[in-house]
Amino acid sequence: MSTAIGTPILSARGLRKEYGKEEGLVRAVDTVDIDVAPGETLAVMGPSGCGKSTLLHLLGGLDRPSGGEVWLDGRRLDQMGERALARMRRQSVGFVFQAFHLMDELTAQENVELPALLAGSSPRSARQRAVDLLEQVGLPDRRAFLPSALSGGQRQRVAIARALSNEPRVVMADEPTGNLDSAAAVDVLRLFDSLHDAGQTLVVVTHNSRIAATADRMITMRDGAFVDETNLTGGTAGHLGALIGLEG
Amino acid sequence: MLLVVIMAATTTLTLGLVLHGETNHPYERTRVATAGPDVVANIIPPTQNATGKVTQQQLRDLNTLAHAPGVVGHSGPYPVTWAVLGAHGLTASAEVEGRDRAPASIDQPRVTEGSWIRNGGVVVERTFAEALGVHTGDSIKLNGRSLNVVGIAVTAAFSPYPEICTDGCDLNTPQLSNTPGLVWVTQDEARSLSSFEEPLTYYLNLKLSDPAQAVAFTNKYNNFNSAVTPSLYTWQQISQDDGQLLKKEQLVLMVASWLLGLLAVASVAVLVGGRMAEQIRRVGLLKAVGGTPGLIAGVLLAQYLLLALLAAGAGLALGRLIAPVLAGPGAGLLGTAGPPPVTAANIGVVVAVAVAVAVAAALVPAVRAARISTVRALSDTARIPRRRAWLIALSARLPVPLLIGLRVAARRPRRIVLSVLSIAVTVSGIVAVLFAHASLDASQSGASSGLANPQSERGNQILLIVTFMLVALAAVNAVFITRTTVQDSRHASAVTRALGATPGQITAGLCAAQVLPALAGAVLGITGGIALYLAVKGGGATVIPPIWWFVAVVVGTVIAIAGLTTIPSRLGARRPVVEILRAETA
Amino acid sequence: MQQEVVLALLAKEPSYGYELRARLGQALGPLGDAINAGQIYVTLGRLEKAGLVSCERSSGLADRPDRKVYELSPAGQQRVADWLTEMRWPKPDLAEFHLKLVAAAAAGLADPISIVDAQRRELLRRLRDAQRAAMAEPDRSDAALLLEGVVLRMQADLRWLEACEQSWIDRKATS
Repeated sequence: MSTAIGTPILSARGLRKEYGKEEGLVRAVDTVDIDVAPGETLAVMGPSGCGKSTLLHLLGGLDRPSGGEVWLDGRRLDQMGERALARMRRQSVGFVFQAFHLMDELTAQENVELPALLAGSSPRSARQRAVDLLEQVGLPDRRAFLPSALSGGQRQRVAIARALSNEPRVVMADEPTGNLDSAAAVDVLRLFDSLHDAGQTLVVVTHNSRIAATADRMITMRDGAFVDETNLTGGTAGHLGALIGLEG
Repeated sequence: MLLVVIMAATTTLTLGLVLHGETNHPYERTRVATAGPDVVANIIPPTQNATGKVTQQQLRDLNTLAHAPGVVGHSGPYPVTWAVLGAHGLTASAEVEGRDRAPASIDQPRVTEGSWIRNGGVVVERTFAEALGVHTGDSIKLNGRSLNVVGIAVTAAFSPYPEICTDGCDLNTPQLSNTPGLVWVTQDEARSLSSFEEPLTYYLNLKLSDPAQAVAFTNKYNNFNSAVTPSLYTWQQISQDDGQLLKKEQLVLMVASWLLGLLAVASVAVLVGGRMAEQIRRVGLLKAVGGTPGLIAGVLLAQYLLLALLAAGAGLALGRLIAPVLAGPGAGLLGTAGPPPVTAANIGVVVAVAVAVAVAAALVPAVRAARISTVRALSDTARIPRRRAWLIALSARLPVPLLIGLRVAARRPRRIVLSVLSIAVTVSGIVAVLFAHASLDASQSGASSGLANPQSERGNQILLIVTFMLVALAAVNAVFITRTTVQDSRHASAVTRALGATPGQITAGLCAAQVLPALAGAVLGITGGIALYLAVKGGGATVIPPIWWFVAVVVGTVIAIAGLTTIPSRLGARRPVVEILRAETA
Repeated sequence: MQQEVVLALLAKEPSYGYELRARLGQALGPLGDAINAGQIYVTLGRLEKAGLVSCERSSGLADRPDRKVYELSPAGQQRVADWLTEMRWPKPDLAEFHLKLVAAAAAGLADPISIVDAQRRELLRRLRDAQRAAMAEPDRSDAALLLEGVVLRMQADLRWLEACEQSWIDRKATS
């Protein structure tokens, strides 16, 4: 059980996702309860195959649970039809994927414009928003570049800008630094940090302990279930000097 | 899938070839069976003649002809007149030939049902009998007089109904139409049926020592300046008239097979294009493990060759089955029971075409892959979609389904072109068929009401079959193109759905990417069809079908394409997003 | 040789000196070759003097250290318990933590997995602090560089802790 103060912006009760049946039954997510407070950054860590990506997809409405409830922004996701879910994804959720999943034939700006266009914005306002976002993620001069002309880190930043396009309530990131080298990962890290400072709710699934360290709270998953929860903001470890062995 | 397409192409090719090779066998057979004449001579009474009958001089002229040099036998002269025929409540016109009960040496009509003439009895020519729906034992009226149908027969001396009057019929009675049928009665009966308006004319059948000399013979004795001398025509002319019908049908089928061939080429192009990325990858793999260009070409070729040979065989078999339906000689001639032969040459051509398609399908990716480096061939960037900045900007102004549709279409412009062309070809064919149909209908209105015109019936039949085949292949094409497009764009669709597009919008977009080109193709096809019909029809007036037919074709095409593409689009749009995203690490 | 390590090795049951050496060698593998017998006995002596360990001579034998039987005293047991819950992170010697887990498992004193989890949590917090500090410094300054080094090492240590966790989970599963 994971708890948070105040009304959670995202919560799940008894969330399950299963594949196969009987002998071949695989519990990707095994009866999970979770609450995410507004403005919180939550990290989910765990070994490969523990179900953390599946959990993220369920929380973001990309996949349907086998059982349980998911509440996002006060609305229940698991009972919504496809159209309502699509609207949810337009308005309330932004996704960032490990493989970026940008459109190869669109420039960075066109990629970032797309969610706004899908939500019905005029082309002009979509373009303006894209320009602003690309500046926010630090790529103002790469607007007209195709993804193939961008480095991995730059592509992921474009993807993050895209995820922010419709001012989502929650940004969900699935292994955002999985395909990046450490320098690019640090760029993404800084971005997440600044988003957090701006009050954005963030749920990050990751292997990378540095990314997890930016979170307020960290949950460890194993075999589809939560096994550990750590509050990272409570109580520091003492003077920094101790870290490099300057004290006794 | 490729198998089906190549098979369709080979079937139509087989049909076209087989029917093209159709010779005039039916006429030959009938001529032999009835001892058909080499030359027919005919006299009609002079118009100024007060008695309304042929003159003695004219009869003497016929007699002279019967003993002219080169003539080895004759039958007749037989009296011929015209009468109004009533049968089963239908009214028609009949050319009535008076004959002897005893068989003639030249031109003895071959009885296929019942027996030859007797007093009070009439024998009806077979095509005419079919059109009227009469059989042996029925009773018909000639000029009001009741006669018994004692038999049905075929002849080589006249063209079958309704083409008797190809050389012109001199009819005076208004009730008589200009598409009469042929009947035989006794000579006395014929004489009694003649009247002042329709006097007796006479026909003489001649046999020459050398049938090939018939044209020279007629040229020698025909006098076109005079209306009283006998007019002669040759067995070749009759044969040609018989063949006209078949020729027309052959023409239609030839055109149809070209159209179908085009469609098949389009299908193959789409299929090969759709598999291009996969094939390039395969080539890249073979290159990476050290395959020589020869080996690579061999592998690809082997893959397609088997398919092509199977398709060729299936196409030949299918074509052989269908051909007799289309190649029938018509009721007026004796035909064979079996299907027309498929010659070795035909087989050779079909197999060669199928193999050529296979080779093309194999070589194009091989050549493409050979030109790019192995590394690029192995990576998925071998087929990055095209980018058209202005189209993308334009699509941003459209509602979401059209945005999606336009972008999907813009990724593969060549496929859109193929789509448009494919529909254009189909609609061209349909429009040409419509024109032909209207023309057939119009010619039919000249005939006696209620009578089935076997020629236009057969014509319509063939047109229907052709239309059906065109539509079927076009439908197959549309489904292929849609499936390939859906497959191609599944990553983009999944990402778009993850960003908030509904499956309905994706479906609509994918459909729009097919329907809009189809609309363009349909409009193009109308023009194309008109051009095609005008180019092919030869002489005669052009009958324009009602405009609403064309509108119906366009609307029908759009609806059909929309329907055909909805299902694969819907299936593609509803696949779980996460599956696709996991699989495509783009 | 850390005193606590030797204490922990006695936690399961009293043992001879040579047995202790064998156990230590087994736990450390090739890294244990560097330790010689003398170090252990010196440590045992110190522990005895500090009252954490009591020693008995096995009957009827001469006065040789490897024939002595060592046993934890109550004070010694308390010391071990405290040590197991301590969160100090020694650098760069991972052996101590490793032996902590081995000893805890052998003596049944604590679940090694929870020890790892607790240490991970602590390290994560430290990583967070170091990372924030690193990002607060101007780019490419000396401080930033040093802190980045700290962060990267902690990240490596955390990876090792994950591996420890996985390994002990597997051991539990197969035992």
